[in-house]
Amino acid sequence: MKRFSKLTIPYIAWAALMLLLPMLLIAVYSFTDQGNSIIPFTFTLDNYVKFFTDPDFLLILWRSILIALKTTVLCLLLGYPIAYFIARCEEKTQNLLILCITFPMWINMLVRTYAWIGLLSEGGLVQRVLSLLGLADGELLYTEGAVLLGMVYNFLPFMILQIQTSLSKMDYALLDASADLGASPRQTFRLVTLPLSLPGVVNGITLVFLPAVSSFFIPKMLGGGQYFLIGNMIENQFITVGEWNFGSAIAIIMAVIMMCLMMLVRRIEARNEGGKGERP
Amino acid sequence: MEQKKLIELRNIVKSFDGQLVLKGVSLDICENEFVTLLGPSGCGKTTLLRILGGFLDADEGSVTFDGKVINEVPPYQRELNTVFQKYALFPHLNVYENIAFGLKLKKMSHDVIDQKVMKMLKLIGLEGFESKNTTLLSGGQQQRVAIARALVNEPKVLLLDEPLAALDLKLRKEMQYELKRIQEEVGITFIFVTHDQEEALTMSDKIVVMNEGEILQVDAPQDIYNKPNCRFVANFIGESNIFPGVMLEDYHLRFDDHDFDCGCFGFKKNEPVDVLIRPEQIEIVKKEDGKLTGEVLSSLFKGVHHEIMVETVPGTRVTVQMQLIRNQDVASEDGNEMISANNFYVDIEDVEHMDDREIIALSNAQAWNPHTDEFISIAHVEYDLRAEEGIYPVVFSTGNGTRVERRIHVVNQPVVRNERANEAVMAFNFVRSVDEIMESQALDTDLRTWAGAQGWKLSDEETSVELYVDYDFEPDEVKEGVYPVTFETTGHEFKVYTTTHHEEGQEVGLFFPPEAIHVMPHTEY
Repeated sequence: MKRFSKLTIPYIAWAALMLLLPMLLIAVYSFTDQGNSIIPFTFTLDNYVKFFTDPDFLLILWRSILIALKTTVLCLLLGYPIAYFIARCEEKTQNLLILCITFPMWINMLVRTYAWIGLLSEGGLVQRVLSLLGLADGELLYTEGAVLLGMVYNFLPFMILQIQTSLSKMDYALLDASADLGASPRQTFRLVTLPLSLPGVVNGITLVFLPAVSSFFIPKMLGGGQYFLIGNMIENQFITVGEWNFGSAIAIIMAVIMMCLMMLVRRIEARNEGGKGERP
Repeated sequence: MEQKKLIELRNIVKSFDGQLVLKGVSLDICENEFVTLLGPSGCGKTTLLRILGGFLDADEGSVTFDGKVINEVPPYQRELNTVFQKYALFPHLNVYENIAFGLKLKKMSHDVIDQKVMKMLKLIGLEGFESKNTTLLSGGQQQRVAIARALVNEPKVLLLDEPLAALDLKLRKEMQYELKRIQEEVGITFIFVTHDQEEALTMSDKIVVMNEGEILQVDAPQDIYNKPNCRFVANFIGESNIFPGVMLEDYHLRFDDHDFDCGCFGFKKNEPVDVLIRPEQIEIVKKEDGKLTGEVLSSLFKGVHHEIMVETVPGTRVTVQMQLIRNQDVASEDGNEMISANNFYVDIEDVEHMDDREIIALSNAQAWNPHTDEFISIAHVEYDLRAEEGIYPVVFSTGNGTRVERRIHVVNQPVVRNERANEAVMAFNFVRSVDEIMESQALDTDLRTWAGAQGWKLSDEETSVELYVDYDFEPDEVKEGVYPVTFETTGHEFKVYTTTHHEEGQEVGLFFPPEAIHVMPHTEY
């Protein structure tokens, strides 16, 4: 392998250029202001102070995390049974079902989200059916529900695939063993199946929560102007307002929050991992 | 000793995808017994165990446990526990938690669980391992944990599904004693599934021999070994010499052309039987003193004893001449086609069945393009054969007129008959090129084909007898010339264990007492 190690240099250089440099630039931007013609950048913490002292910004941050959490919980509640069902099928059926799950992902996310606008808007299919049943009156589009629906719809496959993978890796003899030792099917699920699928659940949560908390397109399309999230705010600062420094600061804050949350999730997972538990 | 019946299986039938795996199995298992289900892979022993454990439902029949029919009882309510083939330890739990799994489900208090688990760890000799990760244990240790996890629930029956199959030989032997010790110590019924006859003999109180979904014999290990009730059991357990014989009357039988006294009775007069003599029950003596005489074929040193093969009835053999010639490929005038064929021999009786295809096959006639190596079909075969001994010309040609002339030898080939062994063999002389020998991938098979060698039973011409090929040349460096090739059947061979050495080729006598002869009803294979 050593002979080939030099071959990796271009890749490392490429990754550094394309990944690390932009990150560094964002960090630099977040700690500076635009300065003047003599000194182009000056160090400042103003951007951070501005974010944390404005209750509107904090509200938007809170709202973003909340909706991402809701999305994740919904995806987990919907995704686990589906993944469980798929994992119990024969291998051929499994492959077919996974194809069905991933099929919508072949179509561009923008197109799919636009389709939901059509379905949810006044006179759209979903809106009409629901109002016929007397379940919905008035506007469906541009509500929190619409944003949540769009997010769950887009991110659910990630959750299903992760859980299904960990479930189908499980040795079925373990279920026999559990039943043999006196566990009812429900107890077997709680004591064996669920703990063993936990790594898949954690991966699923990560893959759903991260894009959900920073997404800006779905809230923009399905939430209209009504439902402003942190992703939209960053986009706004960069594109509409032109405050790159403040935008960068928000991005960095988001990154730190996400990192903390993920570390928390990993720690919970590690505590549940096999054989490490203490004797009761 | 009168023991209480714990499990009664009655007429259990099970099929998978229309294939019958268990064909109506009935079996009683008593309390405190070490029972082994023994049989080759696919005999249905694991299926039977899974039906007992409740993981499979029988199509027909009843499972009675402690006086109650338990067909409908799910596995988690049955009073038996299983040690699975690959242990199936929970990877997310440590050793302690694995063993405590069943007890926690029974909502026992912590200190009771603690006590019981510690007692089990002591029984299996893994004290101090309780917080170890099970995936980091060795195979033998995982095995012990699996046994402890099952036993801690104090089941009335422990089911063990080939639990030693994944261990290496030395560890397997250790675990055999260990399992027997644990069974004696806890005093419950063990039902043990294995395909290893030695394992079964070592550990069991009772062996159940199964084959093709049926129980063949249920007996104590000594009885299974000394008094197998059919050829399959005799063959499957231990080493054996088995011959067809005829029961003349009670205590008298005939096999290998000799009459013998034996301890067996209860057969019909002149009933065909299978005769079993174990290798260790035969003694090698001087030729004059033997009940049978034969020639030592081979002698292998096996540590404590020598394993000696003695042939009492020689096989049937035929030797033919193989003539090896140089390549005689013929090229066409323009050099674009090559053709080759061999002279060959046919029996007078077969002449009338000859057709073009058979003649091409027997002469191995081929044509090809030497530039591209593509094969060209042989378009014409001209010959004039009569059912009389003699040599007849045959001409093979392609569509483009490239031709080669060869000879067909029509001969009256004698059949070698061996009335004593009830066999006949036959083969023809043949002609091949040196290259064909050198290029052959499976020379024995090719030699048999080229010589048209065949062997059959005199009593039944449809039953063929396997022929062994013997020759005295080096296939890699063979030259043109004539070589003898011998085709031979195996004779009657006795396997004998002795502590003395005997030279190959030595004429010896075989002696065995009447009680060494065990007679079983004849089964066809």
